[in-house]
Parts: sequence; C-alpha cells; structure tokens
Amino acid sequence: MGRGDSELDGWSLSSELRLVITSLRDIVESDLLRRALIEAMIVGALGGIIGVHLVVRRLSFTAMALTHATFPGVVLAAILGINLLAGSAAFGVLVVVAIWLAGRRPEVDNSTATGVVLAGGFALGVLLLSAQAGFSRDLTAYLVGSVLTVTTRDVIVAAVSAVVIVIVLAVLHQALVFSAFDRVGAESAGLRVVWIDLAMLALLELTLVVSLPTVGTILSVALLVAPASTARLWVDRIGASMVLAAVIGALCGLVGLVVSNMADTAAGATIAVVAGATFAVSLVIAPMVQRQRSASVRLA
Amino acid sequence: MVPALELDHVCVSFDDALVLDDVTARIEPGDAVAIIGPNGAGKSTLLRAILGLVPLTDGSIRVLGTTPRLARPRVAYVPQADTLDAEFPVSVLQVALMGRYRSIGWIRRPGARDRAAAMEALEQVDLADRARDRFGVLSGGQRQRVLLARALCQEAELLLLDEPFNGVDSSTQDLFLSVLAAQRERGVAVVMPTHDLSVAHLACGEACLLNQRQYGFGPIDEVLNPDALRAAYATRTLVTPGDQVILTGHHH
Amino acid sequence: MYHLFVEPFAVGFMQRALTVSLIIGAVGGVIGVYVVLRKRAFFADTLTHTVFPGVAIAFVAGGSLWLGALLAGIASAVLFTLSTTNRRVDDDAAMAILLTTFFAIGVMVVSRITTYTNDLVVLLFGRVLTVDRGEIITAAVLGTAALLIVAVLHKELVFQAFDPEGLRAAGYPPVLLDLAANIAVTLVVVAAIQAVGTVLVIALLVTPAAVARLLTRSVGPMIAAGATVGVACGYLGLVISYSASIDHELRFAAGATIVVLLTVVFVVVTLATGGARRLRARRVVTVQ
Repeated sequence: MGRGDSELDGWSLSSELRLVITSLRDIVESDLLRRALIEAMIVGALGGIIGVHLVVRRLSFTAMALTHATFPGVVLAAILGINLLAGSAAFGVLVVVAIWLAGRRPEVDNSTATGVVLAGGFALGVLLLSAQAGFSRDLTAYLVGSVLTVTTRDVIVAAVSAVVIVIVLAVLHQALVFSAFDRVGAESAGLRVVWIDLAMLALLELTLVVSLPTVGTILSVALLVAPASTARLWVDRIGASMVLAAVIGALCGLVGLVVSNMADTAAGATIAVVAGATFAVSLVIAPMVQRQRSASVRLA
Repeated sequence: MVPALELDHVCVSFDDALVLDDVTARIEPGDAVAIIGPNGAGKSTLLRAILGLVPLTDGSIRVLGTTPRLARPRVAYVPQADTLDAEFPVSVLQVALMGRYRSIGWIRRPGARDRAAAMEALEQVDLADRARDRFGVLSGGQRQRVLLARALCQEAELLLLDEPFNGVDSSTQDLFLSVLAAQRERGVAVVMPTHDLSVAHLACGEACLLNQRQYGFGPIDEVLNPDALRAAYATRTLVTPGDQVILTGHHH
Repeated sequence: MYHLFVEPFAVGFMQRALTVSLIIGAVGGVIGVYVVLRKRAFFADTLTHTVFPGVAIAFVAGGSLWLGALLAGIASAVLFTLSTTNRRVDDDAAMAILLTTFFAIGVMVVSRITTYTNDLVVLLFGRVLTVDRGEIITAAVLGTAALLIVAVLHKELVFQAFDPEGLRAAGYPPVLLDLAANIAVTLVVVAAIQAVGTVLVIALLVTPAAVARLLTRSVGPMIAAGATVGVACGYLGLVISYSASIDHELRFAAGATIVVLLTVVFVVVTLATGGARRLRARRVVTVQ
C-alpha cells in the first residue's frame, strides 16, 4: 500500500494528514474503493432521509426485527436460487404480519411481540443456513456487510431505489408527518393511516435491503437512526431535518470508509461507529449551542 | 401544631415556560383542599412538586414540617386508575399490599400482619370479597377504590388524590366521601385536584383556584365565587340564574 | 423413545451441553419475566448487542470474557440513562444508536485479526456443544447472582413495572432499581453467550416469559412457568438437533434449534389460549 512514506513513530500532524491523503488517493484511484465510496454515501444519505420518519414514528425496534427476521427469507432465496432481495422482502411481509398477530393478544405488549419475532425469525434463518454448508463467510457478510465487494449493479440499484424512495416520501410527506404526530386527528381527517403505515414499512424494507451490501443487517439500523437523530438535535422541522440527515449520513459513509481504509477495519462497522460518534458529539454540543443562542437573544 | 402542607410562593417551570406561578397555601392536619383549574393549569405539576418529584424554580414547599423528599414515607399518592395497565398480572390484594412495602422495607416479604392490614383497608372500600381477583377485571370505579385502599395501607398523614372522582359511579363516589371524611377526623390532610365543583364542595373545606397562577386560596365557598372562576377559566364558564357556575369547554 | 430422549446424553459433551442449556433456560425464563413485565424487550435486546464489544475486546486481549461483557454492559446502561435525560432524543432511537454503535465497535475490534469470520460467528452464535466444565460453572455462578438480585428486589421490581409513578411517589429510587434489573439481565446475557451467543440470547430472555404470560394470571406462577418453558425447550432443543444430525443427516445448530422451538411453543400457546378465550366468552353469552 502507498503508506510507506510516513513514519509510524510519533503521530505528527503531517504524517496523519499524509495518511488521510494517501487513503483518499487510494479510493479515487481504485475502482473497487470508488464504488464502495459511492455506495456508502448513497446508503448513508438514504438512511438519513427515511430515518427521520422512522425515528418520529418510533419504528427503531421494528426495523431491528425486520433486519433480523428476514434472514430466513434470504437463506431460502439462496437455496432456491432466486433473488436474495426478493426473499428478504417476502419475509419482511411475514415479519410485519407476525408482530401484528402476536401483539393482538392484550397480554403481549408490542415490544415483547417484536422481541419474540426478531429472535425466532433469525434463529430460523440460522437453522436453515446451518443445515447446509458454508456457514461462516456468507453469514458474516450478511450480518455486517462487505462494502468492498460491492458491484456496479449494486450501486445502480441503490441509486435508483434511493430516488424512488425520496419521490414517494416527498409525495406522502404531509400524510406521513400528520399521522406521525397526531394519529387520531389524521384518521378523523380521512387519512388511511393503516395504508400509510404499510407504505412506510415497505419503504423501510426496501432501504434495508439496499443497505445490506454496505453495512449488513444489524448495522443498517445505525444509518437509519443515528444521522436522523443527530439532525433532530439541531433542526426542528421534518423537511429540514431530512436534508440535514441526508448530508450527515453521506458524510458518515465517506468518513467511515476512509477511516476503515486507514485503520484496516471492517468498513460497514466503521461507518456505523462514525454515525454513532457524530450523534454522541452532537448530544453534548447542541444543548450548549442552544443555550448560547437563547442567551444572546435574551441580551438583545 | 405543624401544618400538613405549606406552599410559599411556589414557582415551577419547564424549558423556560412557567407552569406554576407564585402559589401560596397553608393546610393544617385534618383539612381537605380541592385544587380547581382547567386542563393544563398545573394541578398535576403541583402534586408532583408536593411529592418532591419536580424541582422548584422559586419558592419553597414544606410537607409535614420537613422537605417533600423526607416527608414522602408519610405521604400517600392515589393516581388515576386508568393510567395503570389493566392486563397486569396482579391481584387486588397485591395492589393494596404495595402500600405497605415501604414499612416492610427491602428484601423482606409481606407477612400475615401486612396482609391483614391490606384486607382491612379493602374492607373500608368495600372490596374485601374481591381480594383474590385480578386487578384488571374490576370496573374503573372499583380499581380507583383499590388504589385508595393502597393509600390507606400506608397510614399516611397526607393524602394526595389525583382527580379521584373522575368517571366513577355514584356508589364509589359516596364511599370515597365517607372514607375521606373518616381520614380527616383522624387528622389526615387531603389534597385533591378535581374538575367536579359539586363534589369539591362536599369533600373539601378549602380550595385553591389555579391556572398557572393562583386565583385564590381559602375557604371553598369564598374562593369558588363566579368572578374568580370566570377569571381562572377565561371564557369557559357559564353562570346560571341563581348564581350557579357551570364550567364548560373542558373535558377529560 | 429411550434412543431419542435419553441416549444422546450418554456422551460427555452432550451432558455438558444439556447442563448449560438447563441452567440458562431456567435463569433466562425467570429473569425474562421481569423484562416482559417491565415491557423492556428492546432494552434487553440492546444490552445483548452492547456487551458484544466487551466480549470481543476481552477475547482479542485474551482476558476474561465475562468481565469484558460486564463492563460493557454497565457502560451502556450508564450511557443510555444519560442520553434519555435529553428530551429531544426519544428512548427508542437512543437504544438503537447505542446498540448499533457498540456492536459495530465489537465488529471493528474483531475484524482486525485475520481469523475474523470464524471468531465472529462463535461470539455471535455460541457453541453449546463444546462448552467445558469451567464455562458451565461460570454460567451457574452468573445465573445464581442474577437470580439473587431479582429475588431480593422482587416486590419493588413488580411494583415498578405496574405503577412507575406510584413507585416514585412512594420514595423509591427508580434509577437504582433499573440499574439492578439491567445488571441482572447483563449477567444472564454473559452466562448465555457460550450457549447461544449474543444474537439469540434475547430469545431466552423474552420468549419463555412471553409464553408464561399467556398461561398464568399472577407473577409467582409466571416465574415458575417461565423457568419450566426455558428448561423444557433447552432440553428438547438439544434432543431435536442431535436427532436431526444423527438420524436424519441434517445439521441443525443447537442454539438456533432451541430458539426456534421456543418460538413454535409461543405460536402454539398463542393460538391455543386465544381459542380458549373465545370459548369462554361465548359460554358467558349463552348462559345469559
């Protein structure tokens, strides 16, 4: 690798900078890394945009359940030789239905129902997978992603899906916001809230499926929740926070990939850590900035 | 005699917005005060401040001669029954027993004496025969009675009841009135936010009229006069011939 | 029958697998009752993922796995409490971020060694068939500690689950109770890591208790039922996975089999009790 120039003893600023520049150069020059970067940024931005709605509708645990419990669909699709995304999507439907059915019993609350479906679904997938050979490698890629093996086709699918999702979200914007903040009011205003919920879940499932190559199942939730939550710390209105979340998500993809290249760590995981760190930092800084702002207003 | 409750220019705010503004009151043991005000007036906040659960922006509160936190073991809180999960697997007796937990202490399990005390409290609210039933199968009014029994088990000196007459049937209402009267005779002070003016008159000797700021505190007939009520409720009052005041435009 | 239900356990490794499964099934079933009553399945799931970096770092550093997991669990509980004080962050989102970030840290740590894939799988999915006596003893000790915590705090934990406002009003410290409950869950997670790994632990905590909830009407019986379901499925899961591989040449991962069985039991009980409920309601109507 082209890191040979910089000395490793004594982290002087210039050698760190040289490392970053070298990594960036690697990325720009290598087809593989360039694809990975574009994919990471698209997935990051997409996660941020739809993530705002996810957070507002409190669907984080449902998203976790979707990522885990659609695993058997992926395994079955692999066994039957059909498209993996289709298998995952089909099971996504089953998962939503299962959670709804389990939660209908008054004794079983929503979080318990989700927990049962999450674990049961995933275990089913593990079972199916262990029944045939090739356990470890496929499983890891599925769980934590392997963005460095992303194909051009994956990138195109991601880009197209992102556009579709953004268009649908734009069309449904008012309905989504209204039903999230005042469900009863929305229903009585004539909105078909159930259909909106289903549309949201469908978009969510599509996002997860598209994010799979980059960050895998467990970590895709990171890109859905962290950039969006960070944006919400700075900005109030949904529309503005969607834009900010997209920017933050894309940047997390970029920075995460560069850092993983420098530090030789798993790319998807690094992106997720960057996203989480961004949130943590904002958690600390945003109240301070808020206070400064309101203090200066009061003085004025 | 140590006052049961002393509120001295109490102010509470959330996020720079004043929720309670300069509330002053003094309640002796055996008194009963109705906290009257529209929704959002800060009645629940006032209860929580008395329990020491919200910090004061200004002013002070003394409960039974000491700070709210230290007084908590001697204060019993009766929430509204519909805030509790009706599916939860507890029996009526177990709920009543919860009032004794503080005196039982950590680690130890309730004993025969605790059970007897809980049954006695359930007798007072006329539900001893339902002791073994699951809490959730009872009607709303009955559940409210169980929560009152729980508070009685605590043998507290100050009772805080959050809108206790909301949506309860008339027999429960009568029961509550007689239990509260009996408690007052024993020197227990009662504080209760309520919407129902007629019940407030039946149960309480004093009233505190509230809508963020205080519109009066003192004997109930004096405080709940039409002018004061109109001021506190803004346009949501209606005065009928005979000077009866009806509160409109508020609901639960 | 003997061949199916007893013979597998004539062998040493199967006996050890059974022992650890029974311990974890029982402990998970009991602690799970508190998780389900408090409606904290998501937080329990968060904890199972956040202990992962502790385990990963300890594994890489060659240290004690359970100490690493414990420290990570406590760190995440503290962080979570801190983030919920900010009202612009809702609990769900905070947990999801905590979960994924910590988990990602664990993956990053493991990914720096070359045998990354295999080790990751073991940490994630456990290897109940290769536990040794030391690990069984660890599981037993941790499990007992968890049981002690909930035994001591039982009535307060139930009170808090039922009426959190009332508990605060009575003067109890909710944060301390939460911390104690979370530590108990962390201990179970660490104990179960060997058997089923971090990903499937949530099943052992939530599903037996969920089944028990459908079958019982008060907490005492619920605890007994939870432990029974956990133990029974631990045992039968091993029976099934063993029989599948020996008699039918199907390699079923043992941990996953236990979890799938638990889920099947949940489905069956849900349908059965739903039917019984409707029958009872109908009977009431006709008697009138």
